[in-house]
Amino acid sequence: MIVGLLSRAVLMSTPLLYGSIAEVYAERSGMMVTAIEGIFLIGAWAGFTGSYLTGSLLIGLIWAILGGLLLSALYGWITVFLRQHQVVTGTALNILAVGICAFFQRVIFGVPTTPLTIKPLPQLAVPLLADIPWIGTILFRQNILTYALYLLLPVSIFILYRTSLGLTIRSTGENPEAVDVAGISVVKVRFLTVLLAGIMGGIAGSFYSIGYLGMFADNIIGGRGWIAFAICFLGNWNPKGALIGTVVFGLAEALAIYMQSLGGQSFFPNELFIALPYLLTIILTISRRSYNVPAKLGEPYVKEN
Amino acid sequence: MTAFIELKNITKYFSHVVANQDVSFSIERGEVLALLGENGAGKSTVMKILYGLYRADAGEIFQNGKAAAIHSPRDAMNLGITMIQQHFSLVQAHSVTENIILGNVHGAIDREAADREVAALAAEHGFDIDPRARVGDLAVGVQQKVEILKAIYQKTRLLIMDEPTAVLTPQESDQLMKFVKNFTSQGNSVVFITHKLQEVMAVADRIIVMRNGMVSGNLRKADTDARELSRLMIGRELTNAAQVKTERAGGEVRLALDRVSVSDHGAVPSLADVSFEIHAGEVFGIAGVSGNGQQELCEVICGALTPVSGSIRLDGRAIETLNIHERVKRGIGYVPSNRHRDGLVMNMTMAENMLLKTSFDPRWLKNGFIDRKRLDAVSEKAIADYRIKASGPAAILRTLSGGNQQKVIVAREVDIGEKLIIFDQPTRGLDLGAIDNVHKIIRAERAKGKAILLVSTELTEILGLSDRYTVLYKGRLQGIYDRSALTVEEIGLLMAGYQLKEGGAHG
Repeated sequence: MIVGLLSRAVLMSTPLLYGSIAEVYAERSGMMVTAIEGIFLIGAWAGFTGSYLTGSLLIGLIWAILGGLLLSALYGWITVFLRQHQVVTGTALNILAVGICAFFQRVIFGVPTTPLTIKPLPQLAVPLLADIPWIGTILFRQNILTYALYLLLPVSIFILYRTSLGLTIRSTGENPEAVDVAGISVVKVRFLTVLLAGIMGGIAGSFYSIGYLGMFADNIIGGRGWIAFAICFLGNWNPKGALIGTVVFGLAEALAIYMQSLGGQSFFPNELFIALPYLLTIILTISRRSYNVPAKLGEPYVKEN
Repeated sequence: MTAFIELKNITKYFSHVVANQDVSFSIERGEVLALLGENGAGKSTVMKILYGLYRADAGEIFQNGKAAAIHSPRDAMNLGITMIQQHFSLVQAHSVTENIILGNVHGAIDREAADREVAALAAEHGFDIDPRARVGDLAVGVQQKVEILKAIYQKTRLLIMDEPTAVLTPQESDQLMKFVKNFTSQGNSVVFITHKLQEVMAVADRIIVMRNGMVSGNLRKADTDARELSRLMIGRELTNAAQVKTERAGGEVRLALDRVSVSDHGAVPSLADVSFEIHAGEVFGIAGVSGNGQQELCEVICGALTPVSGSIRLDGRAIETLNIHERVKRGIGYVPSNRHRDGLVMNMTMAENMLLKTSFDPRWLKNGFIDRKRLDAVSEKAIADYRIKASGPAAILRTLSGGNQQKVIVAREVDIGEKLIIFDQPTRGLDLGAIDNVHKIIRAERAKGKAILLVSTELTEILGLSDRYTVLYKGRLQGIYDRSALTVEEIGLLMAGYQLKEGGAHG
């Protein structure tokens, strides 16, 4: 039972980690991608629709990436180039995303009597590693997106802390003027990190539809984009912290699903466990003492002249 | 031989205000060029154009005789030009090394190697800096060295420094001068942007003097002296200096400061032992380069700052412990230099701004609510009296021009300041008509017997309006003088921190 729970926790952590690493990149450059919830949703819808219509999960994934990219480009254009307020813009785009997804879902599929389903990404057992007792089942009987994450995490740490690009991104969030004076375009850095967040957010969203549910529903994301957003804060704007955060939340979600499966046998009401990740977000956010906030997070860069 | 850099006819406007007009000069190899001028003379602007931060509206830049297209700092760096900004541009949260290599490395970073490289570079130039230290933990003087190292790391051949000694102790300044001499002796060039004459005489080979956005002098140091530079820097057009010659104010003492000091967190005091008196019907001027304690002086009198020592008396009664409200009630008006930040709420109406500082006063109330009719009547009167161009009391302040916004503050503070009005740079940023208007108001209030403290960096204004004046330098008074006691050159020297050796009546 423990192994099953942990395996499910890794599954549930995967999209949250994609989302929170996406936020880490963007926020380190000073951009809060508050459209992340909408990007998740577009990713989930485009991933499902692409897969359903073409029968190819790969094409679905590509659609999801394009969907996330599109919404983040819109967000980036409004906040970076037009210098509009990030929270307001993100909120507007999140509402827009709900409308777009619901609308095109009806236009394309009408109102089917039985839910449309696809076969989700298969579990792939990694040869040898999957046979390790406990750990093998937990870590190495997952789908391809989870495995990609095993690579993305160390690569992100390397990029952020050991490369010129990472130094530029981190400096842009701390003091954009220094970056400008060093001859690097602040606008370009910020727009690119937002696009990167869009790609990763799109993948994260598609994980819910084509990663394991095999279907799409209007409320499929249900605030998980915001949880990824919060994890970035809680993880102190670095990928390692994001990993710890996502594991905690993944566990909470897995536990909620497990408790639901027990049905009436549980002493605690189900709803409490469904609310667990959200309660955790609030509790952890207010109980964190010191933050390492990028100094210019959320502030548009206005050059004189 | 052609000059390393040649600027030709650089012109730059900031929304119709001329910042640079036809600025032309050259920068030679191996020289220290001082760019001298008062605040707002356009020194930083022209250098920011050379560094690619601003784009000139007209003019050309040549390097080694060839036209250079500089559209961004990256272009400037590729030509070997680096500029250290006045307030630096360092990432406080990052290490020294990270700051130095920002934008100058590609791909993966070998941290240990980079640290070693920075340490070696620092040692080579005699800088004692730990490459791994967090920049935010370093003293300002050390942060400047980080900026210099950054420039050297980029193999710069022209280093532009904007007011580099403003944040340094005298010892650090000496070190900096030594570095500059050493750096230029290797064939590199340095541009020193400054308003300090002493500094110029100490370090420069050649001096470009700027005034009102134009070059007013281009001299070799050997051929000039501090007096001539001071004259070129400040100009002589004291047209309205002797306009109104009224009899000496004979009223009783209104405001008296006795050895007032204001401390700036234990460091150098921002005001030290300031003593003066202003009589009823007298305008007392405070000249000096801005940032020498003027704002602190105004705030300590109006109640925004508390002195660490000394006493302030209004009509013989101590006021230094009273809060701002109490002082407003006793008749102290204050027109702050930064009207947008300290004086007005731009998104509120003109009438609401009139009410702003005396909102506690029951005269505005009727049955516990704001008496709109009364407020509107007062505002209408101000609009008529001061000829404020506004559609009415309900006009949003942001929609008024700068001069009319200033009139709103002046109207309010003249009303509040029954005994004393403090004007801090009352005409900064205003056009000639508006300036004239403010000057008329100051004279009229003086004639009513009010005491007036006038702070200005414009000598013409000080000499044209004040009965007596002083010069503030580093928080200290450089003596108190009658209006016609000194020449412009002498005042310029006082503003630069020199003491007058002959003739000057020391107060």
